[in-house]
Amino acid sequence: MPRYWGRVVAGVVLAALVAALIGAMLASLFVASARFPGTGTAGGDIFYLARITIVQATLSTLVSIGVGIPVAWALNRVAFPGRSAYVAILSMSLVLPALVVGFGVIAVWGRAGWVNQALATLAGARLPGTIFGLHGIILAHLVLNGALAARVFYNRLATLPPATLKLGRSLALGPIDRFLVLDWPPIRAAIPSLAALIFLFCFTSFAIVLTLGGGPANATFEVAIYEAVRIDFDPGFAALLALIQLAICLLVILPAAAWPLGAALVAEPAPIRHWPDRGGARPLQVGIIVIAAALFGLPTLAALVGGLQPGGISILGSSAFRAAFATSMAIATFSTLLALALAMVLALARANLALVAPTGPWSAFWLRQVIGAPAFAYLATPAVVLALGFFLLARLTGIPPRHLAPFVLVLANALLALPLSAAILGPPLERLTARTARLQRALAISGWRRFTEIELPLLRTDIGYAAAVAFCFSLGDLGVIALFGTGDFATLPWLMYRAMGAYRGSEAATVAAALIVLTILAFVAIPKLVSGVRHAGA
Amino acid sequence: MRFVVASLLALALAGPAAAQDRQVLTIYTYDAFAADYGPAPLLKQGFEPRCGCTVDFVAAESSIGALRRVQLEGAGTEADIVLGLDSSNVAEARATGLFAPHGITLPPLGLPVTWADADFVPFDFGWFAFVYNRETLPDPPTSFAALAAADPSLKIVIEDPRASTPGLGLVLWVKAAYGDAAGDLWRALRPHIVTVTRSWSEAYYSLFLAGEADMVLSYTTSPSYHRIAEADERFAAARFSDGHYLQIELAGILRSSPHPELARRFLRWLVSTQAQATIPTTNWMFPVNLPAGALPEGFAEPLPPAETLLLDPEEVAANAPAWIDEFLDALR
Amino acid sequence: MLALDGVTFRYAAAEAPWRFDLEVAPGEIVGIAGVSGAGKSTLLDLIAGFLIPLAGDITLDGRSLLTEPPEARPVSILFQTDNLFDHLSAARNVALGLAPNKLPRAQRQARVQEALDAVELGNFSNRVVARLSGGQKQRVALARTLLRDKPILLLDEPFTALDPETAAEVREHLSALIAAHRWHTVLVSHDAEDLAAVGARILVVDGGRLTPA
Repeated sequence: MPRYWGRVVAGVVLAALVAALIGAMLASLFVASARFPGTGTAGGDIFYLARITIVQATLSTLVSIGVGIPVAWALNRVAFPGRSAYVAILSMSLVLPALVVGFGVIAVWGRAGWVNQALATLAGARLPGTIFGLHGIILAHLVLNGALAARVFYNRLATLPPATLKLGRSLALGPIDRFLVLDWPPIRAAIPSLAALIFLFCFTSFAIVLTLGGGPANATFEVAIYEAVRIDFDPGFAALLALIQLAICLLVILPAAAWPLGAALVAEPAPIRHWPDRGGARPLQVGIIVIAAALFGLPTLAALVGGLQPGGISILGSSAFRAAFATSMAIATFSTLLALALAMVLALARANLALVAPTGPWSAFWLRQVIGAPAFAYLATPAVVLALGFFLLARLTGIPPRHLAPFVLVLANALLALPLSAAILGPPLERLTARTARLQRALAISGWRRFTEIELPLLRTDIGYAAAVAFCFSLGDLGVIALFGTGDFATLPWLMYRAMGAYRGSEAATVAAALIVLTILAFVAIPKLVSGVRHAGA
Repeated sequence: MRFVVASLLALALAGPAAAQDRQVLTIYTYDAFAADYGPAPLLKQGFEPRCGCTVDFVAAESSIGALRRVQLEGAGTEADIVLGLDSSNVAEARATGLFAPHGITLPPLGLPVTWADADFVPFDFGWFAFVYNRETLPDPPTSFAALAAADPSLKIVIEDPRASTPGLGLVLWVKAAYGDAAGDLWRALRPHIVTVTRSWSEAYYSLFLAGEADMVLSYTTSPSYHRIAEADERFAAARFSDGHYLQIELAGILRSSPHPELARRFLRWLVSTQAQATIPTTNWMFPVNLPAGALPEGFAEPLPPAETLLLDPEEVAANAPAWIDEFLDALR
Repeated sequence: MLALDGVTFRYAAAEAPWRFDLEVAPGEIVGIAGVSGAGKSTLLDLIAGFLIPLAGDITLDGRSLLTEPPEARPVSILFQTDNLFDHLSAARNVALGLAPNKLPRAQRQARVQEALDAVELGNFSNRVVARLSGGQKQRVALARTLLRDKPILLLDEPFTALDPETAAEVREHLSALIAAHRWHTVLVSHDAEDLAAVGARILVVDGGRLTPA
């Protein structure tokens, strides 16, 4: 038994380290606030901010889940060539750069957007109002998270036990009965954790809110923190906001049992005859699939098309682009490795809790939370807080901040990807440990051997997926670089953002399109790469 | 053959060594200035042969960002000069105590207002204006009141005063023109405001040029870019009867700089006619020191001083937070 | 008469194919035995329509069933476990056996109650199935089969999960219903005793074919 405590202890130590990091960052901000008392516009109503952020996140979550369910349902019923590609693209929506998607939404739904152009030509009509505002934010969140929800629910439906499906089919269940009796239970079971995750993404949304919010009336804590640090220069207020954000989010996460999402991976279809619905349900399902494809796909398509203007292509050959590309790749690689390592330690620690049976049910509960909580560290230390904290620490220790930049960037991106990586790796590990704990003990397998021979092979695909997600998150992140960055040290999103100045918009659009293409390539290639490596080693 | 290789090697090694003897002048500035398509490369090219030094432009997100950086870095900052402060935040910059008097004698400046400052050197200026597309808006409003009273389908995009100097400029503009009635004007403008962006580039490029708004808060010189660089005559700046707010861009030397004399040489050069000639078509602002008639063909005309608005920088520093809050409240 | 004539199937090109020839008379129980993986469940899947044969025909009284999808085939299935939806009540589960909207509500309820009475679970109609014992669950499933009243009944190891006494009870109900309703029954089990106890004609899947025991 003592041998299994090793991993748990490692998890607790990591949790302590992360807590220390958060503490150091926030402390340095509070200390700095004494020296920089702020310019005053940072004040403002925290209650107002909390209210609008929570309202926005709640509505976004409800809409995303509400759309995800019918899309998953329709996809499950209608088998068409390319369905697996469609489903794979749904997975990808999670990792697209939010800033790019925001502009894509404007390009499709804005006053001069595709929809209005089509409406004007066909019917001489126009969409009422503008895309900017709370509804625009929710729409963009729907594009990103609704697709994720559809993907997760689809996975649940596709992994229904074949026996249950056969039973339902032999009973000739109609479409409604079939949904209520067969599909609804697993979907409903997935909702709490998925909703918590989506809520988190929407609560901490930054780029989308800035792009589509329409002004100061819509903001989130992330936006306010960013403003407090970068603009109003009130580090104390920023730290306070960060703590409040963490508190609110923990209230949502802990009840949802912290680590949601079994891996929303490619599901093995059962080798039994496909069971479509008959009658009126089918046209409805086809319609849903087409509409969903447009809803989720058009903004990204618009961003890609916008990037193909002739004026901008030239930037692809420039040395600035090559340098930014190399930097982005390097940062993404290192932050992915770090995120995976951290997620693995935490996941292994939590899985082992099943084996060690700590004294009393209460301490088991608290250990679980303690080990689970660091996964969400980035809530308390968003990139901008991390950057400022390190900057101040660097000043104290005399290290030129410029040297710290890559390190901070890697750390910030790793923390950003950590919740999802942990959510992907955690559940399969926990299931494996719970199921085979006694067997492993009987065979006296532990430690490194256990890891390499039993757990890694199981997690091959999950690791590939977690790595792809972490890599793409890092590629698209426009975070900490502003404080440390110079003209020389740039990533692709930073390059895009800078090209937007000085009237160089078409080049910015090209970089944005390049980012999308890279994200898609990485997302498709990395899981295969990881699986291939494992195969070679096996 | 070996001799050739050896001498090449010696040259290669001598190169970096020689470079290390050169002094480095570090200038913090805002993004668009330091970009490849901004004034920085030409200024660098022009100054480095004169001084035998290396000029390093370091880009921050905005001019406010540059100021914050040196505030953060304190006395240990690498920067010698901060370039890109403006008349709206100059008092705040002075209050940090980080800047030293520049001590150079300026040539006669072609500014529309009298401007004398011992600490900061002006290098270009411009007026804020709403820019529009002549084809889609043949009949633009000619004052703030007209804009507020226009049909609600007329949409404008503006910038956030907390994050962007044009945004701050707009708040000051409205305050200069309307005084205490500013709050009412903001409320009257509210239905027209499509969105408030964080940066000028987002407002101008991503939204205005894409057709999402009819007018954008920018400079009177913005149409000059389209006319000269793109041969596009469609864009114009709306003249408001209330007058237009002035922005003077400034540079200052940091007290902590190890080579103030080099910095002074740069600033002297910056206001020389030679360097100033590069400003219009790279920064798209009016130079402070250029002979009359030397602006490029097709460049905007400067506005008469009678139409120029400018608030006292000390007054701005004292009241800007309250004025910005007034703006934010009206929009919430 | 349920007839399988030269029904050929294999899962992948590399594997050896099965070929099933079988005849089941009305009211007859045919027992299928064989080692695990021999193909017993495959046979049931073919009859039920979840798999499509590569060659051959499946007919009921001369009418081919191959054109019909599983939900349209005149077949009822009983599995080893998971025949019911645990979160629903017994009555609701049984009611699923009725085609929707064919009868007014009162009549539906009456028929459901009748079926439950026939398996001696009349008092359990509102009990959530998750709280029933294994044997009771199988009987509820039988009640549903009764309501469906399809001419073909397929059973996949229906007694394996039950203790001997309960199994005997369920077998009794089963035999009585089959005899009364003349269902063509195919019963798969690895337990020869179970098959013998219901009086089945026993065939063994061996080498991809059905041979008498």
